[in-house]
Amino acid sequence: MIDQIKQQIERLRARGATYVDTRWYPYEETNSLLMWNGNLKDTSSSRESGIGVRVLYKGAWGFSASSDLSNLNALYDKAFDNARVAAERVTFPVRLAEKESIEAKFESPSRINPFEVTLADKVAFLREMDRLLDQPGVTQRVSKLDFRRKQIIFVDSEGSQIEKVITDVFAGLEVNGLDSEGGMHERKFNPPRRGDSRGWETIDLRYFSENAERIVRELKETLQAERCPVDDRSVILLPGIMYLQTHETIGHALELDRILGYELAFAGGSFVTLNDFGKLRYGSEKLTARADATLLNTPGSFGYDDDGVPAQDNLLIDKGILVGAISGRQMVEEANAKARRAIFNGSSGANRATAFYRVPIERMTNINIDPGNDGTLEDIIRNTEKGILLDGDRSWSIGSNREQFHFGTEAGWLVEDGRITRPVKNATYKGATVPFWNSLSAVGDRSTWEVCYVANCGKGQPNQIMQLGHGVPVCRFDNVRIGE
Amino acid sequence: MREKILQTLNELRIYALDKGVEVSLYFHEEDSYLMRFANSAISLNTNEHLIRLEVTAFEGNKRASYAMITDLDKVNDMKQGIDTACEMVKHVMPLSYSPTVPVYQSPFIDEGNFDPELAQMSNEEKLGFFNQVVNGLETEEIKLSGIFSCGANTVAAVSTRSAHPFFVTTSDAQVSIVLAHSALKWEVQSEQSAQRKTDLDAAELRAELVTLLHHYTHDTPQQIPLGRYDIVFGAAAIADMLNFTSFIGFNGGLMKRGYSCLKEENIGQKVFSEQFTFVDDPSRRETFPFRCDLYGIPRDRFPLVENGVFKAFTWYQDDADEFSQSPTGHTVPHHSLCMAGGTQHLNTLGDLLKQSRESDILYIPFLHYMNIVNPSKGIITGSSRFGALLLKKDGSIVVPYNVRLTQSLLDVFGDKIEWIAQDTLPYNTSTSYGARNPTSILVPRFMRVNDLEISLSNSSY
Ligand SMILES: [Zn+2]
Repeated sequence: MIDQIKQQIERLRARGATYVDTRWYPYEETNSLLMWNGNLKDTSSSRESGIGVRVLYKGAWGFSASSDLSNLNALYDKAFDNARVAAERVTFPVRLAEKESIEAKFESPSRINPFEVTLADKVAFLREMDRLLDQPGVTQRVSKLDFRRKQIIFVDSEGSQIEKVITDVFAGLEVNGLDSEGGMHERKFNPPRRGDSRGWETIDLRYFSENAERIVRELKETLQAERCPVDDRSVILLPGIMYLQTHETIGHALELDRILGYELAFAGGSFVTLNDFGKLRYGSEKLTARADATLLNTPGSFGYDDDGVPAQDNLLIDKGILVGAISGRQMVEEANAKARRAIFNGSSGANRATAFYRVPIERMTNINIDPGNDGTLEDIIRNTEKGILLDGDRSWSIGSNREQFHFGTEAGWLVEDGRITRPVKNATYKGATVPFWNSLSAVGDRSTWEVCYVANCGKGQPNQIMQLGHGVPVCRFDNVRIGE
Repeated sequence: MREKILQTLNELRIYALDKGVEVSLYFHEEDSYLMRFANSAISLNTNEHLIRLEVTAFEGNKRASYAMITDLDKVNDMKQGIDTACEMVKHVMPLSYSPTVPVYQSPFIDEGNFDPELAQMSNEEKLGFFNQVVNGLETEEIKLSGIFSCGANTVAAVSTRSAHPFFVTTSDAQVSIVLAHSALKWEVQSEQSAQRKTDLDAAELRAELVTLLHHYTHDTPQQIPLGRYDIVFGAAAIADMLNFTSFIGFNGGLMKRGYSCLKEENIGQKVFSEQFTFVDDPSRRETFPFRCDLYGIPRDRFPLVENGVFKAFTWYQDDADEFSQSPTGHTVPHHSLCMAGGTQHLNTLGDLLKQSRESDILYIPFLHYMNIVNPSKGIITGSSRFGALLLKKDGSIVVPYNVRLTQSLLDVFGDKIEWIAQDTLPYNTSTSYGARNPTSILVPRFMRVNDLEISLSNSSY
């Protein structure tokens, strides 16, 4: 098969294509189980295989994909034809940043392949979780397991050939309950990534059990609590909401395709301009953010991106100053040319596609905030006069240029004079992105740092769902409007 | 193609019967084309032809499913898919209720909403259409973005319970054209949904863009003060809010799980404005309808709200099975939601701008990134995007920076409605997540709602 792919690539090169690549997925398999109030509502598996072909011709992209490998000529011709028509409307001919051509293999670390674990063992885990969540006051309880495994073979016209096998496990628990006014509240546990691998071995029964009990306890507290007041306070964000703040107002805002206007038809743009790199004070001096695709245990690590560029660990924001972006080979060339200066030194290795039938676009890897020097969570609470401690994502809505946001959280506890006083329900906070990050006044130490994951980040047309991670500490921001 | 699909499904059905297992088979085929524009260029031109088969196996109260991307020639692979689902179902846990197996009482074949002219529009035609809409509107700084998405979509199903098949094929297109200023960052948009090629109307798209561009290129944008506004929503914003209302309002299963702003006792009560009528109407071809559901229940006009009175919850088969309710024929990839037009004669954005007004009116055509803040109270939040305008009572028009609205849907469609435009149009709500599923909601062009609060107002774009 690889020889046939190489022949097709050469054939299109001979027709005038300046670049051709192919992602062949021999397999991509999934297995999902969902238990809702004791009922195993969903037990499903899937398997797909196919091939996606990307062609650059006269500065324009064409793409075509099919699950039918019996007529490669037709598939490659279709991709070429799509590029040929696209070349009729080119404003900035696509160029690709230099990279080394490599032959390489990557396999995500996994000690126990979840596809070799029996269905009976998976069901037993869910039954145990369901039993723990089945408590008075809990009206809905959900436990779920989701496993994915895929093999990708990447071949391009520059001589690269890369094989990847990626395995991921996503598990989660959720409880819901009704307060005295009939209002619904929720509490979730999406386990932070621990250890150095990402297979079935991450399903640690004791860890899940402890957290099942915790979320039930915290839900009950919320159900009894008074409404969150409308107020201006310091907000202390635990990793369970800090990851989403980072995702929405640093991650998406720093995708270079958004900055260059390639998502204006759908996902939106970014308030960041090319002029801002090296200058914009994005946050306070306590803020250092990075895109680190080299962490071992998260779905934001993949060895090589779908341009064939090796995974990297790059600074995005250095002590508050914007210095980097999330990028692939195409966008860095265009950004440097438009800015008339070399802002970016090559691709940051973040171009990924969600399936063989989608085209790679700039995606977050692991967008992390470095731990700080403001101590433990207890230290930060002790040093807060009037605040609110928040955790758990409940709702999120962000302006189209990522310039402002509104978040609702699952749990909130008021902090007065250095100690937690009482829980509140329906906690929300909102703000404008740059002033908010500039109000960052405390960053927790490594003891507060957790690697959270996002299993369903949507972007692009046709739409693509991507998995990635966020390593974040507890952070405190001052003078934030809450309760609206 | 129909014959080959039905033949294949029948062969698989016989295979399952011979094995003595109970299965339902769900087949999906898409031929999808998408031309995407950004920075005034074609940034991506793509197509996918994909066939998916999902096998659901039943064994008493147990159920498991196996999905695959496949080809019609790979019958043996599909048979293995049946084997896999049947092996899985042995090891799962029984449900506390008995899941219904689909039964089609007679063959259901619907090819009436397929227009090959639309499904197979060439690359050149699509580019030509775009050029026609934006000819002369782009500048060095005002750049074109957008999509032309079109395709053919086929859903077919059969089960071991009956030999009759289910087969629906449709054609669809979604056009979205954005003109955005690369330095000032404002954006204006015009959109269209098509089921037939003749639904496409370049002149109409162009007229809306020209009107919006006139204001966006001549006026200086302003941060408008926080407070309460009389708001006219455009079709996109109305459709998005209706989608959320049907999600956290009318879905019986979610209501039973406490995730709804409507309760059982609300049935028969006036919950919304008397001007508000909202139905599921599969007779409307613009909604890419299913006139039979996947469990063989015929689908007819189903009132959700009539003149403000909440009429009924919708029950998906699985929720109906679990909560001992009668299914309402809503187990389909999408419903045919239609909001009735009102009495206000306004056919275009130009008409709205010219209308005399006794107070300032904020026009919000589109709400970006809507999310549910509190489902029990129906509270959603989202930000304006794509061409908002502040229509001053003195007749002048101001361009506002985007604003955030955090509001209960019960209020938006409640007594605060001042008027609803008479004219309705299909607004395409398709997302391109996963398998193709063309969807649109019939909505009035405009709806005015008084006294809504703006909770955040940007100082720039
Ligand atoms: Zn995202």
